Amino acid sequence: MSKPADLVQGTLDLLLLKLLALEPLHGWAISLRLRSVSNDVLQVSEGSLYPALHKLEQEGWIRAEWKTTENNRRAKFYSLTRLGRKQLDLEASNWQRLSNAISQVVQLSEA
Amino acid sequence: MKMEHWWFQAPLKLKAIFRRGRAEQELDEELQFHLDRKIEEGVAEGLSPETARLRALRAMGGLDQRKEQIRDTRGIHWLTDFLDDVRYAFRSLRRAPGLSAFVVVTIALGIGMTATPLSMLDALVFRPYPVSRPGDVVTLVGTSRDNAYDAFSYREYLDLRDHTRSYDGVVASTTLLSVGFSSRAGETPQVRGGQLVSGNYFRVLGVEPTLGRGFRDDEDAVPGRDAVVVLAPDFWKREFAADPAVVGRTVRINGVDFTVIGVAPETFPGMFIFMRPDLYVPLAMAGRFSTNPQKNFFVDPDDRELTVRARLKSGATLHEARTEIAVLARSLEREYPKSNRDRGAAVRTQFEMRTQDTDVNWKFGVIFTVLALAVLLVACTNAAGLLLSRARTRTREIAVRLAIGAGRFRLIRLLLTESLVLALLGGVAGIAVGYAGISALDTFTIPAEVPLKVPFRMDLRVLIASLALAVLSAIFCGLAPALQSTRTDLLRGLKAADVDEPGRRRKRLWGRNALVVAQVAMSLMLLAASFLMFRGFRHSIGEGVDFALEAKDHVLMVRFDPRLVQYDAARTEQFYKRLAERLRDSPDVLGTGYTQNPPLGLDDFDRVAFVPEGFQMPRDRESLASMMDTVDDGFFETMGVAILRGRGFRASDDAHAPRVAVVNEVFAKHYWPNQDAVGKRFRLDRSDGAPVEIVGVAKSIKYRDSPFGAGIDFVYLPVTQHPAARLVLLTKSAGDPLQMVEPVKEAVRALDPNMPLLETRTYADLYRYSVVEGPGIAVKLVGTLGAVGLLLAIAGLYGLVAYNVTRRTREIGIRIAIGAKPADVLKLVMSKGLKLVGIGAAIGLVMGVAIERVMNAMLFNAGGIDLLVYLVVVPAMIAVTMLAAYAPARRATHIAPTLALRCE
Repeated sequence: MSKPADLVQGTLDLLLLKLLALEPLHGWAISLRLRSVSNDVLQVSEGSLYPALHKLEQEGWIRAEWKTTENNRRAKFYSLTRLGRKQLDLEASNWQRLSNAISQVVQLSEA
Repeated sequence: MKMEHWWFQAPLKLKAIFRRGRAEQELDEELQFHLDRKIEEGVAEGLSPETARLRALRAMGGLDQRKEQIRDTRGIHWLTDFLDDVRYAFRSLRRAPGLSAFVVVTIALGIGMTATPLSMLDALVFRPYPVSRPGDVVTLVGTSRDNAYDAFSYREYLDLRDHTRSYDGVVASTTLLSVGFSSRAGETPQVRGGQLVSGNYFRVLGVEPTLGRGFRDDEDAVPGRDAVVVLAPDFWKREFAADPAVVGRTVRINGVDFTVIGVAPETFPGMFIFMRPDLYVPLAMAGRFSTNPQKNFFVDPDDRELTVRARLKSGATLHEARTEIAVLARSLEREYPKSNRDRGAAVRTQFEMRTQDTDVNWKFGVIFTVLALAVLLVACTNAAGLLLSRARTRTREIAVRLAIGAGRFRLIRLLLTESLVLALLGGVAGIAVGYAGISALDTFTIPAEVPLKVPFRMDLRVLIASLALAVLSAIFCGLAPALQSTRTDLLRGLKAADVDEPGRRRKRLWGRNALVVAQVAMSLMLLAASFLMFRGFRHSIGEGVDFALEAKDHVLMVRFDPRLVQYDAARTEQFYKRLAERLRDSPDVLGTGYTQNPPLGLDDFDRVAFVPEGFQMPRDRESLASMMDTVDDGFFETMGVAILRGRGFRASDDAHAPRVAVVNEVFAKHYWPNQDAVGKRFRLDRSDGAPVEIVGVAKSIKYRDSPFGAGIDFVYLPVTQHPAARLVLLTKSAGDPLQMVEPVKEAVRALDPNMPLLETRTYADLYRYSVVEGPGIAVKLVGTLGAVGLLLAIAGLYGLVAYNVTRRTREIGIRIAIGAKPADVLKLVMSKGLKLVGIGAAIGLVMGVAIERVMNAMLFNAGGIDLLVYLVVVPAMIAVTMLAAYAPARRATHIAPTLALRCE
């Protein structure tokens, strides 16, 4: 069974960085946000979300902080670091190039 | 970018390592938060809480797997596992304290024995020059037929400096053995050692003076103009109590006022291994320190005294530098055909300079290190045997671990960690042992005018090498047991623990039998080598020193250098003559003699170039060279050097008489084999040089402090025909030579109250150092290595054999139960042990012969195989083996068979 849209290798990092660039979020919020923003097209398995977040943290691109949610519960909030900002710019431009290239190929009219 | 990266990572890693519990707890909490939200969502959608929980867990895809995945992202798995292993290792080692202690002590001895020679080797070969970027500093040497490491003349130095392109600077230096130094005018000069250095010396070597400055190039431009001096750090502390105001002061050196311009830094004790110069003076001042008034250092092409070093330009390769200097040497040869015929030049690295073929010290370093490594190997074999036996008793434990799913690699890692812990404990203890050994080396003094430093110490390189050896030992002695015990057949292992299965035993036992054989072979080889060294040293110590038996108890030596009080050659000669006359008049004095360099001393002898008459010279050579000394008519008698044929010198052999010489036996035999050398002649310097008649042949003695100084050519020339300024007066009396100190002083005072007595000591001092203490250290070192090696080998042998027999308790029980006689069983067990020792002894004998060959070729010819070693040691080993096999075998034959059968 194939998922509706398997994520292209490495794009999860880009998505997470982008989401966290907008505002600090905890893991649950990130999973909700991913679903809603992409209209359920991108379904990241909740299981792979946390290892991915920890990896980004180890790389120094995001940092974690324990804060209280609006419902008064302790949650681990992730936010982007300076280093992560640079990484985001890099990966975003890579993605842009890649997707442009692929679109051009896909739009080739059959001669 | 990279740094920044670390900046973020480091705290996380540290937290994961040191606050592991906290990190785990936070991970749980984070995931639980997510699950709770997911369950809430499910409940809100109308699911039952239980269904919602299950859905949440499913979505997560296995909570524990995720956690493990997340732990992996921390990238410290290897470390946490390792720490777990270490903790476990300590626990399991504590369970067998006796065995652990034995292994630790064994390895400690092995490592400790290695640390001492390693520190020697480090000091003699590997320690880099104490300058900035020492790797770029090379030494330029002249090469000739006799000498591949020759020094250069001043003119050659200028050519090298000005015509090479590969270097950032070329410096020259030469050693001043004794200069008269007084910190203010009017004070009696003290003898100091120093260096004449080119003006760019400190700059090119990258040595920044702590006080003041180094030399400028222009201070080395005009001979005799700039009397400036840089003090060495130690000397500054001793002589000036580290007074910073010393810069700018005037001191007197060899009767001339010099201005102190700087103090060299603490980090720069000089470029030598043993010698520490006290002061540095520009090369242009060389005239003030000349030892031979007939030579002019600046123009004489034959006066080769300069050590030339250069710093390679960045980008220049050694190969280019070598090509360049070869070309330059050829052009020098064309330019100065007379002085530079057949002379080449070469670039040598620090390593090449320190491993010269003619130098024996580093060879000893290598040999000691190899011997010590052999001891370490024996120690490791011991440890391996013990660990192997221990691993066998743990078969069941390991089988259980394998059965519940531990990976084999993971188990091997665990077992290796255990041996690593043991080896590191042993390594640390061994470093303490080595430290003690190195300090022991430091306790003897070298009798020289200038304080020489024994440079052996436990520095970082030695420390790291020792620890690296410990790790290697761990792998060596831990790997085989680890591999073997994890190969366990699970079913058998779980069932039977520790019994050798019939049929599989042959293979199993192979490892342990090999260990016994190796143990015996290695220790025999080690012993053969140590015995040979021991005997070689003893032999060479005694060789050629008989002459000194009387002199060492009755001769006083006093060194003079009248140039220190501005005597010219004529006054110098007069002074020495009158001093001898005065002393000979005294009834207490049995005799006096003069020499430039007493035998068994530390200084190098001068060399003389000569052409023997009637000797077929090799076609490509202009002259031959020999070591020489200039002595007076009283020398041979006073020193005890016997004249075998002809005569010694006489007072009548003066400057107006025909030139004469005395040569030693080796010299006589060398050039006039089967003839009497007395009456033969040689020419000085070249075939048309001054003729010299040989009037006597002296007994060959040992000349240098090196243990292998005998058997060389030696020429004595009369001081009356070859004046020298710096001489040693030998005064022989009937009693204690120290009682002659006052009479000598008085005689000198009567001639000139200002004349300094440079070095006053008894000949016994020299004798003790050169004949007793110096070689004694080597003998002690070799003896200790051999003894420790033997001790370890015997202990290890006993342990291995006894263990092997104990393993067979059950088998022996069965044999007895079905009717074997105890005597038969004993015979069976012991013959097995003897067979192994026999094989080991045979291998050891062969290797011992090989080692002796190599060592004889390298160092000394101490004769052939020492059968005694084998005659004593092999039976000793057999006895140990028998005992080791007998005790447990006897016990086994006495246990009731029912017990033996149950024995595990």
